[in-house]
Amino acid sequence: MSSFGFGLVSAAVLAIAAVGFTMQFAVTNVLNLAYGSIMINSAFVTYYVNTHAHVTPWVATIGGVATGAIVSWALNRFVFTPFQRRNLPPITIVMVALGMDLIGTFGLQAIVGGSYVSFQQSQGSEYHILGMFLSGLQLTIMGLAVVVLVAIHWLLRYTRLGKAMRATSANPNLARNSGVKTGLVISMTWLISGALSGLAGTVFAMNTGVFEATSAQLYIVMLLAAMFLGGPGQPYGAMLGAVTIGVATEISAAYINPEYKEVIAFLVLIGMLMFRPYGLFGSEKTA
Amino acid sequence: MPTADAFYLATIIVYGAVDAMACLALNVEFGFAGLSNFGFIIFQSIGAYVAAVLSMPNWASSNGGFQQYILGWHLAWPLPWIGAAIAGGLLALPFVFLVGKRLRGDFAAVGLLVSAVLLNVLVKNYMPLFNGDAGISIVPAPLQSLWNPQSLGYQFAYGGLAVVLTIATYFLLKRVTESPFGRSLRAMRDNDIVADSLGKNIRGQRTSMMVLGGAIAGLSGAVLVGFINLWAPGAWGYAETIVLFAAIIVGGAGNHKGAVLGAILVPLGFEEVTRFIPPLSNPTLVPALEWVAIGLLIVLFLWFRPNGILPERRRILSGLPSGAAAPVLTGSDTTDADVLVKLGNIEQIDFRQLLRLGEPVNDHRVILSTHNLTKSFSGVTVVQDVSIEVHQGRLTGLIGPNGAGKSTTLAMLAGTLPSSGGTITYDGRDITSMPSNLRARAGLVRTFQLASEFKKLTVLENLVSAIPNQSGDSLRGALRGKRFWGAEDRANIERAMEMLEGFGLTQYADAYAGSLSGGQRRLVEIMRALLAEPKVLLLDEPMAGVHPNLAHKIGEQLVTMCQAGMTVLMVEHELSIMDAFCDPVIVLAEGKVLAQGTMAELRLKEEVVEAYLVG
Repeated sequence: MSSFGFGLVSAAVLAIAAVGFTMQFAVTNVLNLAYGSIMINSAFVTYYVNTHAHVTPWVATIGGVATGAIVSWALNRFVFTPFQRRNLPPITIVMVALGMDLIGTFGLQAIVGGSYVSFQQSQGSEYHILGMFLSGLQLTIMGLAVVVLVAIHWLLRYTRLGKAMRATSANPNLARNSGVKTGLVISMTWLISGALSGLAGTVFAMNTGVFEATSAQLYIVMLLAAMFLGGPGQPYGAMLGAVTIGVATEISAAYINPEYKEVIAFLVLIGMLMFRPYGLFGSEKTA
Repeated sequence: MPTADAFYLATIIVYGAVDAMACLALNVEFGFAGLSNFGFIIFQSIGAYVAAVLSMPNWASSNGGFQQYILGWHLAWPLPWIGAAIAGGLLALPFVFLVGKRLRGDFAAVGLLVSAVLLNVLVKNYMPLFNGDAGISIVPAPLQSLWNPQSLGYQFAYGGLAVVLTIATYFLLKRVTESPFGRSLRAMRDNDIVADSLGKNIRGQRTSMMVLGGAIAGLSGAVLVGFINLWAPGAWGYAETIVLFAAIIVGGAGNHKGAVLGAILVPLGFEEVTRFIPPLSNPTLVPALEWVAIGLLIVLFLWFRPNGILPERRRILSGLPSGAAAPVLTGSDTTDADVLVKLGNIEQIDFRQLLRLGEPVNDHRVILSTHNLTKSFSGVTVVQDVSIEVHQGRLTGLIGPNGAGKSTTLAMLAGTLPSSGGTITYDGRDITSMPSNLRARAGLVRTFQLASEFKKLTVLENLVSAIPNQSGDSLRGALRGKRFWGAEDRANIERAMEMLEGFGLTQYADAYAGSLSGGQRRLVEIMRALLAEPKVLLLDEPMAGVHPNLAHKIGEQLVTMCQAGMTVLMVEHELSIMDAFCDPVIVLAEGKVLAQGTMAELRLKEEVVEAYLVG
């Protein structure tokens, strides 16, 4: 039961991250493999605000979230968009993203060095809920994920911006011709999804306890698995995919071998690519 | 030369040769076949491992069993190297499902990348198979009982052997890529759906290139492990593949010399230059900056020099004097009117001979028909219960307003899209579930509404690539060499040149198809489809963007071809074309057959006029 609890916390972190990742793919058709590097850079900003300005990590998270938003927006505006204007095949964008991931991750490592750090933060008192032992920190992360997911739901369903995002995702040309300011929608998408990557990076680092510049390098496996399970470009699918993958990896870690916990994500990803590349709930056209 | 320097030189030669072999192999996969194998490093890794364990004695009996591994057959060189190549080739097979399906190229690449990441994790943590994170050491050097591996002579001989293997790889791969099969690979790279529609077996082509590339990667791993005598999984991280991709992007994808140059500049250059940087207080700084530099190389090259230092070269096949041939077009400096002027002799082409048409059959039997053909996309039905008949030797027209399902119907007939219901019968056979490349081979060939030329093949290559049954158009045929397929290929080139002359495009024979004007590209596509020797030709708006006079000349030729026994089903918006050439004409509206008859009859039908002819 406790592994299920840890699974829920991992799932919460993954859900925040995967929704941002899949929104970027939905609106701009970019598989942003540099997502993990933005997460960890944001976590380090949070860490420096936390330790140097002597504020709690939660206050410092504002710095991490802002970093994620601005860096992601700039990455799209000054790197991905110019490449996409050249009408290159999607694989070129993937390679550019991989290159940017190396620059982001190892640029950070060159600056901060290779040692592990951790936030100055207490785990909070422990709670016993439904047979699971969870710390205050873990409960906070889960609560935060719920708030974020509800907010994204509200954004997509009930706001003009959200409708414009969905329209742009379905058909950018038609959206533009119908008067949607797609440029603005894309910028807002990257700011919001970037903010999510910043938040995800921070809570990821809180959840792992200690972290260094390359800690999130393999996180992309989890993100891809969550996205493909729910269907590429489907934010609700990504939420569900994240919960499934997060819980499944922690439970498999408890019963099989913690070193293999990404394996379940891998199997899910390969299985989805093999049988349903458009996701469990997606339609054929999105693949 | 001081001895230390001599040893260093030998080492560099071996490393350089290993990197060059790997880059050559990755380049045929990526630069020629368009396969983004982001898991490439695992093929090199498995080769190295297999070479190691085949050459080592049983683990329990050697050195007190301090390391675990499988096999341990203690085979004599070169058997372990051969085993490595076989293992690398076999490893490709489980991944065929990723590259064989029409999965988006970037999705397949991600699947391979993640596979590489996870296999590395598994290997590091599973002791019995690979001795876990520690890897395997004391791997025997080849022939070490006969010649001291520590001697300078041995080291240089090893380097020499590695270089010989690299040169052999270079010529082997060149033999494959500079053949009709290589042309098909590049066609697939430029547009796999179109290559498929012309009868190329996409899954087969991709599989054979994954196997070939994997075998060479495996061999390169064997060369490395025999030299450094250890195998550690940490050295085979997924990021090493990205280094090799960087090498190919820098050197030039689709160019063998570019791959070798990239191997020397990137993996070898980075490794060796950083050796000379004095140790710093921050031990991670130099390796970290190396990775940053790799990332920068990829991004900056893709932006400023996307074709690399040595770009893929254009193949001049026409035999025309190089001055006259192949003007490099900029797109706007030619017009269809130019073509029209040169369209002197299309009437004189003997299409029956050129297209290998049989004796004309004029019984007008039904050659292609559908029964209740249906297509829906996520619940929306775009084609519903369409039953049509196409008669042999006739030029049947298919018209209808936008969104009527014309292109979708054509795509289902050709097999580009699977149907959701109903049956398709061709030449007396039910072909509803037949793959599209087999339909093309059986003579059911389509063109596309959107531009579908192979951009980085010349016009002539576009045409020749479509000719069926080429003996050099398979891996085996390509390996048999030019003596085997050369004469036939020259005949095919002549045939294509004749076609070009008829369409007035001779002067563009050696120009990249992607550089032509819109109308010219349509012509290339029509010529290419004709050279695929269709029995039934499915044309999707072939005249869009073509000069009206030219369109009429082509229409007349299509009629001639039909009289000679070919059958055409043509989607077209230009009603004057329908009036002049098509009989009968089928009208589709909202996914259903609305009417059928000659244009004159259709103009009298109120529902047709309402649905289409007026609007």
